[in-house]
Amino acid sequence: MPSLRFHWLSMLLLFVGWSISPLSSLSAADRPMSFTNDVMPVLTKAGCNVGLCHAKAGGGQNGFQLSVLGFEVREDYEHLVHEGRGRRISATEPESSLLLRKASGQMPHGGGIRLSANSEGYNIVREWLQQGAQFSVPNEPHLVSFQVQPNRGTVPMKSQVQLKATAKFSDGSERDVTSLSVYEPNDVAMAEATETGLVKVLDISGKFSVMARYQGRFAVFSASVPLGAPVESLPASKNFVDDLVFANLKELGIPPSAICDDATFLRRVLLDIGGRLPSDEEAKAFLGSTAPDKRDAVIEDLLRSPDYADFFANKWTALLKNRRDDASDIISNFAFYAWVRDSLLANKKYDQFVRELLASTGTVIGNPPVAWYKRVKEPKEQIEDVAQLFLGVRMQCAQCHHHPFERWSQDDYYSLAAFFTQVGRKPSGVRGEDLIFHKRGIAAATNIKSGVALKPAALGDAIPPIPADEDPRLKLADWLSNSSNPFFARALVNRYWKHFFQRGLIEPEDDIRDSNPPTNPELLAALEKHFVASGFDLKELVRTITRSNAYQLSSTPNQHNVVDRQNYSRYYPRRLQAEVMLDAIDRLAGTQTDFANLPPGTRAVALPDNSYNRQSPFLRVFGRPEGESVCECERVQTSSLAQSLHLINAPDIKAKLASASGRAARLSKDTRPPEERVRELYLAAFAREPRSVELQTALGFLSETGTSANDNYQDLIWALINTKEFLFNH
Amino acid sequence: MKISIRNVVVKAVLGAALLGMTPAVFAQSVCLPAPRLLTTMPMGGKAGTQVEITIAGDHLEDAAELSFSDPRLTATRKLDAAGKPEANKYVVSIPADCPVGVYEARVMTRLGMSSSRVFSVGSLTEVTQSKPNTSLATAIELPMNSVCNAVISARAVDHYSFEAKKGQRVIVDCATRGIDSKLDATVIIADAAGRDLLVERRGGVLDFIVPADGKYVIKLHELTYKGGREFYYRLGLWQQPTGTPIVRQPLTKTVNSFSWPPVGLPEKAVLVEAEPNNAGDKAQKISLPCDVAGAFFPAADVDVFEFEAKKGEEWWIEVGSERFGLPTDPSVLVQHVAKTPEGEKLTDVAEFSDIPSPVKVSSNGYAYDGPPYNAGSADVLGKLAIKEDGLHRLQLTDLFGGTRTDARNVYRLVVRKAAPDFALVAWALHMELRNGDRNALSKPLALRGGATMALEVIAIRRDGFDGDIELSMSGLPDGVTATGLKILKGQSRGLLLVSANQNAPRGLASATFVGRAEINGANVSHPVALASMAWPIPDAWGEFPAPRLMADVPVSVSGIDLAPLTIAPQGGGPFEANVGDKLTIPLFMTRRSEFSGATMELRTAGDGIERVPVFNLPLTADQSQAVIDLGALKTQPGNYMIAFYGGAVAKYRHNPEAVGVAEAIKQKAMQDVTTIEAELKKATDEAQAAATEKKAEADKLVADTTARLTAAKAALTAADAQLKQATTTAQPRDIVDIVVSEPIAIKVKAPAK
Repeated sequence: MPSLRFHWLSMLLLFVGWSISPLSSLSAADRPMSFTNDVMPVLTKAGCNVGLCHAKAGGGQNGFQLSVLGFEVREDYEHLVHEGRGRRISATEPESSLLLRKASGQMPHGGGIRLSANSEGYNIVREWLQQGAQFSVPNEPHLVSFQVQPNRGTVPMKSQVQLKATAKFSDGSERDVTSLSVYEPNDVAMAEATETGLVKVLDISGKFSVMARYQGRFAVFSASVPLGAPVESLPASKNFVDDLVFANLKELGIPPSAICDDATFLRRVLLDIGGRLPSDEEAKAFLGSTAPDKRDAVIEDLLRSPDYADFFANKWTALLKNRRDDASDIISNFAFYAWVRDSLLANKKYDQFVRELLASTGTVIGNPPVAWYKRVKEPKEQIEDVAQLFLGVRMQCAQCHHHPFERWSQDDYYSLAAFFTQVGRKPSGVRGEDLIFHKRGIAAATNIKSGVALKPAALGDAIPPIPADEDPRLKLADWLSNSSNPFFARALVNRYWKHFFQRGLIEPEDDIRDSNPPTNPELLAALEKHFVASGFDLKELVRTITRSNAYQLSSTPNQHNVVDRQNYSRYYPRRLQAEVMLDAIDRLAGTQTDFANLPPGTRAVALPDNSYNRQSPFLRVFGRPEGESVCECERVQTSSLAQSLHLINAPDIKAKLASASGRAARLSKDTRPPEERVRELYLAAFAREPRSVELQTALGFLSETGTSANDNYQDLIWALINTKEFLFNH
Repeated sequence: MKISIRNVVVKAVLGAALLGMTPAVFAQSVCLPAPRLLTTMPMGGKAGTQVEITIAGDHLEDAAELSFSDPRLTATRKLDAAGKPEANKYVVSIPADCPVGVYEARVMTRLGMSSSRVFSVGSLTEVTQSKPNTSLATAIELPMNSVCNAVISARAVDHYSFEAKKGQRVIVDCATRGIDSKLDATVIIADAAGRDLLVERRGGVLDFIVPADGKYVIKLHELTYKGGREFYYRLGLWQQPTGTPIVRQPLTKTVNSFSWPPVGLPEKAVLVEAEPNNAGDKAQKISLPCDVAGAFFPAADVDVFEFEAKKGEEWWIEVGSERFGLPTDPSVLVQHVAKTPEGEKLTDVAEFSDIPSPVKVSSNGYAYDGPPYNAGSADVLGKLAIKEDGLHRLQLTDLFGGTRTDARNVYRLVVRKAAPDFALVAWALHMELRNGDRNALSKPLALRGGATMALEVIAIRRDGFDGDIELSMSGLPDGVTATGLKILKGQSRGLLLVSANQNAPRGLASATFVGRAEINGANVSHPVALASMAWPIPDAWGEFPAPRLMADVPVSVSGIDLAPLTIAPQGGGPFEANVGDKLTIPLFMTRRSEFSGATMELRTAGDGIERVPVFNLPLTADQSQAVIDLGALKTQPGNYMIAFYGGAVAKYRHNPEAVGVAEAIKQKAMQDVTTIEAELKKATDEAQAAATEKKAEADKLVADTTARLTAAKAALTAADAQLKQATTTAQPRDIVDIVVSEPIAIKVKAPAK
């Protein structure tokens, strides 16, 4: 639900303050006005049919309901013309129509002025009313295609591009519908678009797109904004990732940062693959090694380790809603977590992992992925989660209306839901849990609007008839793992790319659609191809990404790439996740956090479900997700005052620092020279030696009298914890 | 917090709303003390050895002889250095010819024979967990080809290490639920640094090909890190030649396995499924009758068989798979195949899935709503009536097999002409005593003098057999009788009452429990399998019962403890009445305890007379009566056997004779102290007066006597504590339990013409 609410809110924001400006030059009376081709685009552009205004799905203010973005023209006509005792329009006195008086602000209107009097839109509606407010005109053509020109290009920073939108109709006619189309850039930091289709390029280089919409169709203008700086040297290419990242940088003229140093690499890759800081021994051994392939070797070692499985299981179980709502959920949650974790440890191929999840049968103990069906009970929920998580497609809108930015219709939605209609349940011996099995029968789901029972079909791909005896979910799994599937591999590689680079090639990572193109399409395609060719090998994907020099670039910007946020010309630092940070603090403080029911020493990244958030203010403050949503956005990665205060002053942090068996206590009794002790601290916190100035500052601080040695070490550790270098992966 | 408060509120509401008993019931515990053997350590031994075991459980005071379901296994008390038996310690002798398997161990107590605990006999070297091993550093080294008996602690991971060579095939198999443990084990093989390599969490076996010479680690924990004495395990580690099938450690049988195999089924099937037989055009040809062995393998396997049949034929289809203890759910579809010019036309003839339980099974909710034993199965048993001549196609699938590839999930498919028969299973009758409390489910058949226990007997009927099934039990201890309340024609449930007379001596026997019926003119008899619970469960909210089949039917009598209440028909019966009459049955109550509340509610069991309305029985009088309205029940002429049962709250005194024993011990200890004090005074006086040459000897006597006095005072303190404990234990406590009347015979006569 939060995502749906967000969706409406964003739609509202999109249109607030927008109105069609007067365009008196165009006379609408020259031809018969079409409700479909003329009036509805006006109403859509004016934002009448968005969420919190008159959209039916949003409730429809004052009982006036229109289909979202005008996908149901016939219904909209009925609502406008015949509902409300016909008071919304007046064919005899068009300008007295409630429709025009309210929209133009001549009567109080909650939505403000949407159509200024005598604007083009106003005139179109008035003309239509004058002509009798008919639903259709004789020989009315229908829209067959919609284009925007230019559709791609390279544009300089701070320049402008005028888009021209053209509609083609079934009678062969073409119309310039630039002023009737709606424009929406995908990255408002890079470009803005006016209602007349003028694109204003801002001062950030990279790629952006502008989606233009007209009558339920959309077209995209994709632009590349070069920085134009000289790219004189590029790091050596280690694989195709480097080829394509660096080619893009070269094209855009963005010189990349240098390759990061060994300490930064070690800390970064351990945090990204294993969710932990390096141990003192690991850091020493790695920094001291002169082996040419030592970075690759660390990656291999991490991929073999249970740390990889623990950390990625943490990611997947939250997305798969492994949520403890009742104390008795503990068994199914632990079993489900363990299944995910063991699958990752064994490097179960991703398509097989998803197959076992989607088509699971039996009991939770016998077959733990069944627990997913305990959390996600209805076919609708099931397909929405499957689509968003495994296909990167948000289908929620299409349950009630045609997806506004996509090609998905309600038929697509219910055809996908049909795969899950033969999931049988019978009570198990365990209270609150069902046995899941395939219920014999022909799968079909009814489109609530048309009433038509639809057989399973996968996002536009026809599926051969599924006999009653065969589990449709297995057919869905077959479709997913087909090498030509356009969504499955793409969604995963984009999700994993984001894991390592902080930004997906498509953003948000689970909103993949034609109207939201990737910033580096060639790279996305190559990753996808490589992943499919590897047999959906997740470890190979991680290996490919992390071995690349693109991943190993320094986060320190050069004079040119400081504003780059999407082309990976440098590593984008990211605050440590809640669990990772808690483990990191424990590691630095030499303590353990105790978690209910789990063995002492269990890491926070290995927690099986969300229940531990309740007992840990730390995990809550730093945004550990509750498993409510399949969206990674549920994990809060932003900063807050509460976080700062927590790190500075919270009792749990203080207790860790003051622990009698902690690092401060130990170091204060250590007989080694203070320099070595400071070195140990820097190695533990940052996986590097202290710089000279840092060492001197620390030694000076430790030599202060008036406080105990233990207090001094506690304060020093506290200071290290509160550095950005510690709190961020960089 | 929110949830726990909610639970408390819900429990309180449910408790108040659903209890359906007198308010006095709230304050008491459930189930009279029953002897329960809950753990043995170790839990098994190697054939051909002697093994010392330590037992623990509930109400095992005065535990005496330990015995087994197989008489080849014997045990003696372990003696200390002074030749006295050590409490709770036994030496078990396992003869070399004792087959590998699971056996029932149980111990005789003052309350009779305890409930049983699995004792495993194996062929590998036995090891016992000797020290805490919850870290890599403290890992216990296991020799290859051994079994380790151990207990896991809460929030702990047990560690073991073993040495292996590259290419070796190593099997790690952990026996838990199948030997009555509460442990759902996660077993991990890790490298020497403890980094996980292979994990098994579903009770399966780890089949490990060693990647390099060296040390490996086995890590083991409970799924949710629970632990304690109930969470024990036998961890097997052995090497095995590549390509040979794994034979796992032996385990107990599931309850529903009682109905498999059908009588007379050969051990090996006549046919084996021949893959590929996954589709109609690849169907395996068979002719009926048939007996096929196959496997649900690989994932989403479909096995299709084709046969010819004629209209009007009737066949019975039975599939065994889940009853082998496998996690499968077989499903059978039979279709008629007509060849038409357009292709095949398939018409559904019959579809079979589960064998339903004949009685409602517990939903494992807070209130008791049925026995938590499922006599049904996910297997298949049903009649196939052929509606048309021609080719038929039988398709067999595993509803749980869509994504699972495991060749061990086998089945046996039998299609036969009707062979009417039945199979029986029984368990101790339970009823709602207190919400959430399932303690009484794990009662052994240990009778107090004057008690009657009821067993609920359930029949799975095969191939259309619907006649009466008579129930009987023989080979009982002295003073014990058993009476069957038969399973009526077409019904599935009966009772067997086992009664001990008040004077029945302490005794134990392995009884024979059978059901008999007349099938097609022949007398057929089958044993009744007995099921029980592995553990008492005081909180059904937090734990689900773990039922299993028992190896035998032990019946015992305390000989000391008596039932708080005996309800018997006066004069013994049979009581006669005419059809339509009201029959009055005089009841005589022998009360050996005070009771909470003035009355108890009685229900009626047996022979179609159970619809008698619930009535009250006074708990303060010695006599009462039951009135049965034969007219309202429409009872037909004939002989009937019934019983009355209900829950009563006794003010039970546990082991009162221990108070007398403790008092005597204390008296003796006091006397000893007095005597030794006098001796000490005398010795002290003598020492003071002693001549120099006798002084040392006299002082020694003083010292010795002082030491004896110290010991005697310690003995007195101990005796005092023993008396206090015995007195406390013997205080009357409110305990609710099922009271079942002695069986009552009724004769309903046809009206005189």
